[in-house]
Amino acid sequence: MATILYHGEPNGPSLAVLAAMAETGADVALDIECHAMDLLGGKRHTLPGVTEPLARDMGVEGEGPVLVIEGEAMTESVFLAQFFDEVGDGTSLQPEDAYAHWEMMMWCRQITERLSPAASLLGNLATSHQRLEALSEDAFAAQVEPIVSADLKVRWDLVRDGEADDAQLKDCEAKVMQAVERCEKQLADGREWLMGALTIADFETFAWLVGMEPIVPEAFKGKSETQAWMKRVKARPSVQAALARATSEAPERSWAPGPEINRWG
Amino acid sequence: MAEVTLYHWEPNANSGKPMLALMEKGVPFDSHYIDMLNFDQHRPEYLAINPQGTIPAMTHGDKVLVESTAIMEYVNECFEGPDLMPADARDRWRVRWWMKFMDQWLAPSFSMIGWSVFIGPVVRQRDPAELEAAIERIPMPERRVSWRKAIYGTFSEAEIAESQRRVAMGIAMLEKELGKREWLGSDSYSLADINGFNLAYAIPLSQPELSNDELTPNLLRWLRAIYARKAVKDCWALGRTDMVKRVTILEQERI
Ligand SMILES: N[C@@H](CCC(=O)N[C@@H](CS)C(=O)NCC(=O)O)C(=O)O
Repeated sequence: MATILYHGEPNGPSLAVLAAMAETGADVALDIECHAMDLLGGKRHTLPGVTEPLARDMGVEGEGPVLVIEGEAMTESVFLAQFFDEVGDGTSLQPEDAYAHWEMMMWCRQITERLSPAASLLGNLATSHQRLEALSEDAFAAQVEPIVSADLKVRWDLVRDGEADDAQLKDCEAKVMQAVERCEKQLADGREWLMGALTIADFETFAWLVGMEPIVPEAFKGKSETQAWMKRVKARPSVQAALARATSEAPERSWAPGPEINRWG
Repeated sequence: MAEVTLYHWEPNANSGKPMLALMEKGVPFDSHYIDMLNFDQHRPEYLAINPQGTIPAMTHGDKVLVESTAIMEYVNECFEGPDLMPADARDRWRVRWWMKFMDQWLAPSFSMIGWSVFIGPVVRQRDPAELEAAIERIPMPERRVSWRKAIYGTFSEAEIAESQRRVAMGIAMLEKELGKREWLGSDSYSLADINGFNLAYAIPLSQPELSNDELTPNLLRWLRAIYARKAVKDCWALGRTDMVKRVTILEQERI
């Protein structure tokens, strides 16, 4: 049975995973076929050959890439990147040293817990709302019908309705600013990559931030270290290869409902 | 002095995760009890260690570590002792998936219910002015909101109902998963089991209508198997409140 990576446009989690795949050589090691899917068209919920749909439907990340191996749908971009790194050709995107590894995992956890939900809400409202709003009541209902996770469905409704209160939007912008400030601080000692050596943290953080440049431009103003680092990440052949898979002109404007905003602390 | 110091509350939820991981690895540590209900986690001494004002935190020599799940992975990688991550990369993916799912989807729902029925009512008895000052000292704005809701009992019905929905669904998902393999996500005892036990050990007590030997045999088999481990006994001995007694429900032959 073929191992297939179903991915969306190269932005957010799909971008992070595609880059990690190319970077680690996992595509060769696992003989992966890549299939693009229209995330905002709901295609992730009707993938063929999935016998173990639990992770596909209940992942915290929402509409991210899905790796199908022997019927098991694997999700969560950071863990897919770790998986690729661990089966790949030995070029490591994870530090050997336990403390450096902890720092990378802690960083990725805080980025995906704080930045990702905020970026996702802002990105979806700015770019996805129109397309979902244009669907008829019936067409939208049919599209979300196969989604097993009730709370993910709620996130789809929210994007279609396009209503978020001001306080929530402000908070999302603040989370984006905090993430950029955190990068700026991390890079202040002149290091090339966030953890020193190139790791999964670079791809994960870049992939969630790059789409915020047009939406929250003030977050990046005067943040020269972060801007230079983003250029370096973007120039990686792995990122270029991922971006070359785009079917739209501006993949960084492509979003689908993502992780939820923390409901508890 | 041991090289490792763990700042923790009761053996429960996020505090219990690194406590049990250290015990399982056989790593000696200085236990530094933080009384969460007394807001020790927001005092300057502790904020100097973890400015976010949440527990747990761990120091190892001059290194400071936060984020309970990442701390567990560090403990597993840094010290000798049994490997608490499975050998197969796909199993490791599954272990990580379950830990994230529990940490970010299921545990917050348990916690919201716990805070509304237990933590809130206990803390509410204190002097109102003192409580307000305590809330003001909380560094993270999100947490200030959570503590306020707990203290003043202002969770909305919809929030609690959503948490109850997730708890019921999470229990059913755990039951199904534990019917597939001996341990959570893999065939060997791992960090996912340590994580899951800290979340789920009291489920048969707090959710008897959702979890018992008849409805969730696999969940109970798993909880009892973990409870039988020496490390769990050592870990639960570090608790200081009546909370630790809840785990003894697992001694009952039939629940
Ligand atoms: N993501 C963090 C969360 C830590 C956390 O929220 N701990 C709770 C206790 S389980 C806490 O400190 N609550 C008290 C407070 O926020 O004041 C981790 O896993 O360590």
